[in-house]
Amino acid sequence: MATISTALRHFKEPTKDQLTQIYFSIPPAPQTIGAPVNPQDEVEKMDINAVLSLGIAGEEDSYAGKLYIMPPYLAFASLDRKSVRFTIPLCTIRRVERLNARAGIYALSLATWHGVKIIVQLTSLRPTADLFCSLLRDALKVELQRGQMKAVKPFVKTCYSEVIAAAGSTGPTENEREDGSLINERESGSDSDAVYHGGLGLKYKFPGDAKKLREASKVKLWTSYLQTHGRNLTLLRYPQCTRLVQVGLPNRLRGEMWETLSGSIYLRFANPGYYEKLLVENAGTVTTSTEEIEKDLHRSLPEYAGYQHEDGINSLRRVLQAYSFKNPELGYCQAMNILAAAILIYMSEEQAFWLLEVLCDRLLPGYYAPSMHGTLLDQRVFESLVQRCLPMIHDHFQEVDVQLSVASLPWFLSLFINSMPMVFAFRIVDCFFCMGPKVLFQVGFKAILKINGEKLLKIQDDGGFLNLMREYFSNLGESAHPDSSDTRARAITRFQELLLVSFREFSVITDEMIQSERRKYRGEIIHSIESFSRRSAVRNLKTLGRFTKEQAGLIYDALYRAMCMAPPPPAAPPPPTLVNSGDGGAERIETRIGLKTFKIFLSEIATWARDEKIVMNGFQQRIDRDVAEHEFIDRLFYFWDTSCRGALSLQDLVLGLDGVMFNDLMENIEWFFNIHDKNKDGFLTKDEVLTLSETFLFIFRFEVGDAYLGAVSRFMTNAFEYGDTLLPERGESGPNGEPLSPQTISPNQPYLNLATFRMVVLADEVLESFYETDLSASFKLELMPDLDLPALPANGLLGDIWSTIATDTNKKMFHAFTDEIGKTIGKHQVIHRPSIGRYTTLEEPKARESLVTPAMRHSTSKSSLRESSSTSPTLGSSSTTTLASAKSTSSTTLLPSDTGNTSTSTSETSLLSTSTSIGSSGGPHSPPPPPASSISPSTSPSVPRIVQVANAALMERTPFAIDDAKDDEDESEDDFDDADEDLDDDDQVMDEVDAFLEAHDSGLTDADRQVAKDLLRAEPVK
Amino acid sequence: MADTAAGSVDKSVQVKLVLLGEAAVGKSSVVSRFVSNEFQPNKEPTIGAAFLTQKCRLEDRVLRYEIWDTAGQERFHSLAPMYYRNAQAAVVVYDVTKASSLEKAKSWVKELQRQANPNIVIALAGNKIDLVQLSGSSSTGQTASESEDEADDATATPGETTTSGVDPESLRQVPREEAQAYATEAGLLFFETSAKTGEGIVEIFTEIAKKIPIEHILAAARGTGRPGAAGGRAGASGQESSVNLDGDANKPKDACNC
Ligand SMILES: Nc1nc2c(ncn2[C@@H]2O[C@H](COP(=O)(O)OP(=O)(O)OP(=O)(O)O)[C@@H](O)[C@H]2O)c(=O)[nH]1
Ligand SMILES: [Mg+2]
Repeated sequence: MATISTALRHFKEPTKDQLTQIYFSIPPAPQTIGAPVNPQDEVEKMDINAVLSLGIAGEEDSYAGKLYIMPPYLAFASLDRKSVRFTIPLCTIRRVERLNARAGIYALSLATWHGVKIIVQLTSLRPTADLFCSLLRDALKVELQRGQMKAVKPFVKTCYSEVIAAAGSTGPTENEREDGSLINERESGSDSDAVYHGGLGLKYKFPGDAKKLREASKVKLWTSYLQTHGRNLTLLRYPQCTRLVQVGLPNRLRGEMWETLSGSIYLRFANPGYYEKLLVENAGTVTTSTEEIEKDLHRSLPEYAGYQHEDGINSLRRVLQAYSFKNPELGYCQAMNILAAAILIYMSEEQAFWLLEVLCDRLLPGYYAPSMHGTLLDQRVFESLVQRCLPMIHDHFQEVDVQLSVASLPWFLSLFINSMPMVFAFRIVDCFFCMGPKVLFQVGFKAILKINGEKLLKIQDDGGFLNLMREYFSNLGESAHPDSSDTRARAITRFQELLLVSFREFSVITDEMIQSERRKYRGEIIHSIESFSRRSAVRNLKTLGRFTKEQAGLIYDALYRAMCMAPPPPAAPPPPTLVNSGDGGAERIETRIGLKTFKIFLSEIATWARDEKIVMNGFQQRIDRDVAEHEFIDRLFYFWDTSCRGALSLQDLVLGLDGVMFNDLMENIEWFFNIHDKNKDGFLTKDEVLTLSETFLFIFRFEVGDAYLGAVSRFMTNAFEYGDTLLPERGESGPNGEPLSPQTISPNQPYLNLATFRMVVLADEVLESFYETDLSASFKLELMPDLDLPALPANGLLGDIWSTIATDTNKKMFHAFTDEIGKTIGKHQVIHRPSIGRYTTLEEPKARESLVTPAMRHSTSKSSLRESSSTSPTLGSSSTTTLASAKSTSSTTLLPSDTGNTSTSTSETSLLSTSTSIGSSGGPHSPPPPPASSISPSTSPSVPRIVQVANAALMERTPFAIDDAKDDEDESEDDFDDADEDLDDDDQVMDEVDAFLEAHDSGLTDADRQVAKDLLRAEPVK
Repeated sequence: MADTAAGSVDKSVQVKLVLLGEAAVGKSSVVSRFVSNEFQPNKEPTIGAAFLTQKCRLEDRVLRYEIWDTAGQERFHSLAPMYYRNAQAAVVVYDVTKASSLEKAKSWVKELQRQANPNIVIALAGNKIDLVQLSGSSSTGQTASESEDEADDATATPGETTTSGVDPESLRQVPREEAQAYATEAGLLFFETSAKTGEGIVEIFTEIAKKIPIEHILAAARGTGRPGAAGGRAGASGQESSVNLDGDANKPKDACNC
């Protein structure tokens, strides 16, 4: 029924490097996913302390910060990480000059594509600065070679900001309405400026009233900003930029600014043509996702004109489908349709596609995944932040059992777009792309706090809470202070107030804080998702067989563990059937595992399906487990694959196990027989008898002593004797009633039926007990006891290190390391754990009276067996004895007896060939553990590695979260009083802009500032 | 309306009801038909869940349905327990023109029976029945008249199947009999409905109201000291139910009165 996913288990906290990359919106390098990164292949990254000044005197302050080279990008962030920053593709840097400045000052002048000059003073030590420069030079060269410089021009042309900056005009151009949409679309289509990307809004108008939105003023402000600070690929983000975003982006520029601020523009730039190609390649593909998308196309912002036309619907379809093709694992999640529909109003399909990618991948990680773990996690984080910052409300909600997320979940999932009037939601979205996911938390908080007072504390249940929120959101456009005598104050809407206060009062909520909270709750969320899907998987089983729900749960667990180790390919819908079964079968996607995962699964459950070595090395005693390889396991896989799909579902596994775990003696014999009767004709062929014997030997491979080995030999002897004896009765007796000469029986001919097989098996005490109880009991659902604990203190720093380094590979290194020491001090010991372990005595249990008369019996076979048993070595004394080696000895001892025997019968040779093959067919595990020498090369470097890993783990601890609660003190540096003019539009916008003014610490002393100023006049070094 | 609400506060019993079912089977449409007697052809998918309330009179009692309309897409499944916890009633909706939606409905029923409130009253609703009926005058008119006197045997009479015609009926993927048989076996109320025409919608809620162990709920509410809450809340949640009961007073009230 359900799909089972282990994706969550594979989550890795981002490294420091990755966090920097995320901060700068730098797209992840394409191929590094999954594949181990070769450090030599990696382009070198470096950061350096620097002071940034804009090459136009007086335009902006200088800011101290860090300059990063992360090819193919150059990035800068001021010390507070928010005042000033940029991310610039190296290929847009046209010119780099070393400036001739005062002694001891090392400065570069960079000219970008848009003619903006940036001056960076490298304030680190000289050699560091030199190194940085040479890296920069190399990286620029690489970009030149890649031909990226040439790509800039055509790309930049697709950006509307170019039009704005070039026009420099105020107000709409002739072909534009006030809201930025086009008056005559045709005309622009043939126009040269039609190359730039834009959304449905151009044709179907933008939501909201342009006058009220003060579009013209906003455009004017942006025009001058973009002219002086670069744009699209080369935008420099100074405080003014953030403030302008906070008052709301102008319609026409909105889409592009979203992609610039979120960094999706870099993806579009780096992958020209990708979107179109993806669509072409997948044209006509039908998946569950495309079906789900289809259902929702007409249900996405249906009130917007663009979606009442096929144009809009088609765009939406293409974007959502393309994303589902790009990321089939995520596919499509409801709410994405609303986001996509919203952004398509402002951006082209290609822009929207890449923005969606950034949204799903980086900004809202895991929100739309099949398990929605990101959503659940952030809801948990949100709750914990409310608990911390608004304890009153949290306590009240606890008391009346109201869940915060009934209201907040949709806010987060659809970025408030269907929770409040669109014009307001888009303002929040503006801020979200500019300042990151924390905005959602901040606004969410504010929304709660705003109505906080009495109202929230009066809420009695979820429903009341939801209604209250709904009411608040629907009145956002009203004045926040309707009774104020000040017209200005009255003009402030509830929404403006919401934003202002959100950012001011909750600027303590930082990205770092959210990160660290996520880290805190991730385990909890994963656990609850996993136990939920476990419950539903078990519930959705059509039949439990004879298992209890708990037992089925244990089977699920084993399957899950196996899937963690060997994830099966993503669940795909079953191949389409011609006949529509009508039971909706075609809709259901079910997780199925292949042979590889099955082997691991079985090794979790069946004792003989794993190789267990007990290793003692003086430091620790542990059990090393390996997955066994044997044809029998493959056979079992196909035996259980009743629907012949080459893959097993949880249901198949449950039924398969049900078919053996509850069996009695007779049922087990039959089960075993059936597995080996490939064509299901009720007869084993001679080959199959041999295979069956091999299965025995495989299952018994680690049994101590000779009891099992002897039993198998007797089985084979008897089986062939019976088989041969009974052959004539099947109508092929020789002239004298003698059995036909064995050579004439083809190995593929039906040979042994179930009754005979049963007889042979029951003739042996060991095999009988095997079928009576041991076989069924060799399947154990309970978790294997884990002896894997290190002999290290389990708590304290070392314990911490252990838990951080306790990845599989590191554990292995650790084990190898301790083994190594154990060997040098002579305490290393390995014992194979037997799978059955009933008969452990060295002497062979008595065989039952044979049913075949002594006359019918080949004496040689018996004697050879005796010989083999007597020659096998005894256990215990030698420290690395394994039964594998014991077996190979026994088979070799058999060989001479064979060569010495002239009357070779078929049965005998086959027996011999079988046992010889076991020596080698034991596969990779049969050779005794390699001697010390083969391990040592890997262990010696492993010691420093462990230390490294531990250090890295320490480094990655988050710094204390709340470290920049300093802002907002001198909020009032407003220039309200500089003029007496009336409420002009521009002014109003500026008022609003100013309201967002925060103290931006440039991080510089006056002296530093002077140096920076001087640099503006410095000449390049020749 | 405000008077009605105020007058009945004391007697009103809150019933938490949850709607479950595959995406786009029409859960939200069923609710909005019941709550505001509206039908909107293109409804946005529900994200998370929506909350609505509607009152319903049964004998001398007023039931106040607190309706949780959930999201249908499979991946929202893990959120569902948040909404069906403490629910006294559930409407599991499928789409009669889509066989897979009945399978999904069955799995919801199974989950509810195992995980939810043990006394939960579950109704199965096969929606979009209008699509498999002959379009035209008859069906709507007939429905209206039927719903008056049909309340008792709504589950039994396959009255409308007689109209099963040439073309539309071929769209049907779930035969009424099959769903009915399943519902009987699983102990569910069963209806075929159309949010578009309104057919069968009120009946669901009426029949649920009859089957709800009201005394039980009242006792439980007294136990936790929560019944008084109803009054306070009614004030806070302005835009809910009330309008509709006024505008369209007869239908729900009459239906619930029987
Ligand atoms: N013909 C017809 N269409 C219906 C009926 N009920 C719903 N629909 C349509 O089916 C689509 C889905 O309806 P919704 O009510 O949004 O479905 P839902 O079950 O709430 O969907 P999710 O919220 O995604 O789970 C809409 O386009 C409705 O117009 C009905 O009775 N008849
Ligand atoms: Mg819905």
